[in-house]
Amino acid sequence: MKLRIKMGTGTKMGLLLLAALLTLLFGVGIGSVYVPPADILAILGERLFVRPLPEHIPANFSVMVVDMRLPRVLLAFLTGAALAVCGGVMQSLLQNPLASPFGLGVSSGAGLGAALVIVLGLASAGLGMFFLPAVSLCFALGTVFFVLLLAAKLDRRMSNVTVILVGMVVSLFCNAVMSLLATGSPAYAQRIQLWQLGSFSMREWSAVWALFPVTALVCLYFLRYAAELDVMTFGEEQASAMGVDQRRIRGRMMTAVAVLTGTAVAFVGIIGFVDLIVPHVVRRFFGAAHRRMIPACALLGGTFLVLCDLAARTLTPPHEIPIGSITALLGAPFFLYLFFAGRRDS
Amino acid sequence: MGGTAMLEVKNLSCGYGKTEVIHDLSFQVRAGERLCILGPNGCGKTTLLRALAGVIPFQGSVEANGVFLGGLSPRQRAKKIALMSQFSQSAFDYTVYETVMLGRYAHRSDSLFPSETAADRNTVEDAMRCTGVWELREQLVTRLSGGQLQRVFLARTFAQEPQIILLDEPANHLDLRYQAELLESLRDWTADKKRCVTGVFHDISLALAFADTVLLLEAGRALACVPVQELDEELLDRLYGMDVRGYMKRMYGRWE
Repeated sequence: MKLRIKMGTGTKMGLLLLAALLTLLFGVGIGSVYVPPADILAILGERLFVRPLPEHIPANFSVMVVDMRLPRVLLAFLTGAALAVCGGVMQSLLQNPLASPFGLGVSSGAGLGAALVIVLGLASAGLGMFFLPAVSLCFALGTVFFVLLLAAKLDRRMSNVTVILVGMVVSLFCNAVMSLLATGSPAYAQRIQLWQLGSFSMREWSAVWALFPVTALVCLYFLRYAAELDVMTFGEEQASAMGVDQRRIRGRMMTAVAVLTGTAVAFVGIIGFVDLIVPHVVRRFFGAAHRRMIPACALLGGTFLVLCDLAARTLTPPHEIPIGSITALLGAPFFLYLFFAGRRDS
Repeated sequence: MGGTAMLEVKNLSCGYGKTEVIHDLSFQVRAGERLCILGPNGCGKTTLLRALAGVIPFQGSVEANGVFLGGLSPRQRAKKIALMSQFSQSAFDYTVYETVMLGRYAHRSDSLFPSETAADRNTVEDAMRCTGVWELREQLVTRLSGGQLQRVFLARTFAQEPQIILLDEPANHLDLRYQAELLESLRDWTADKKRCVTGVFHDISLALAFADTVLLLEAGRALACVPVQELDEELLDRLYGMDVRGYMKRMYGRWE
């Protein structure tokens, strides 16, 4: 890329933050009825600080904004942030710019858990809205630990290639079981398929409150290990010789990735490409150092997914496009462009 | 050659899984000394360096300046001993400056979110000027040539401020001029007699020109560990299974 914009990191991060806030605002405003930003702020003022609502805003706008649109937009933002940050960290851990947390079996494990819940008819058995996410999170974590254990058993040094291969094999196996379940019970096949493509239509504050602390804490945890992650991108041998206890730290980082991706996927289903593209773009503008990359991934990932969700729910009313198809439609060509643009350069 | 032992290796055995590559090896390197390890492919040179650097576990004892390495944390160990490997690269866009700064990792404070200090920045600048990469500081490591990259990693190794540097074929991919400069930097680095270098070189002539002492390694055991001047060439012939001196003379004959 010939075009190199000279701007301080602080300025760039500030602009990104501004873009994120504006996207959130318009994400809430745009829909079947448009709510202007000023009205949204007034409604928020009413709810948060008990200010009187201006007279021109109908009372049902307040309900729509605060109870329906805002949680959905925030859920999309948190999911995007979580997936992008985990993607970036996973790529560093495996020293592979094409790696993804899904490669560890997070998504296929979560998918298997969700499919079991759906097929066994437990999803609507009055066990509460958290039952399906809880089961799929357990399955996601179980799958990742199984992958790591198996990799450690097969290869005591647990090299990256072993982890990637074992993750792939276990993922494919889980997917096969899930397909069997779907074929065996055609009545539920469509629901399983929809879950696999991801959706934010579960516009519940409780999902936001569950995902927010996990996202925030795991991001801080990654930031605390920013220097170790930087060193580890130069390879296992280098990292050890430079004083990083790389086996232990890699285990901790992968667990954190599994917890965060697993939680996000459990609520919204599988959404691809965010974890792949966003870290690429962020590295272009902010460099590879994790102390800048992690916050930038969180902001850009969140913004990107809010925009995708906006497209998903406004392009073909009254039907919603599955969010996973939007990210893939935008993501695949963009990714190819990035990949080849980068190649031609060097 | 006087001086105290800086690196003292006693009865060291190591390998991968159940396969032992280095068997019961003992040698020492004194302060200011440059030791080269020579031996044919597969004799365990790289494995030995990896064990000394803490990349793979070992049995036996390794002392650096009187401290047993086995009892140290990875960071404490990295302050004493550094490894410059042969296949170093990054898949990601770090600048040259950031890359060299990573060498300061072992010296970071133990706080929750440590940041770089003025002392770190000074050390990094010195190390970069020393290997001639200060001018490249804003460049991305993914865009450098092999030779430039090698000098960046040497700067990072210096920035780690170890007492012992282990080199694994550092002169690979380097043009002659950079080879000479790299070895010159390393010679300067050991000149104050407070530090030492242990290296593996692919090129025997280069190794013999650089080293004070050679350790001949045959199938994971020491064949000899002698000052360069006292090296028995018949041992070299036996080690490499060929007439090494005759070959070198034919090779370099045209420059006479």
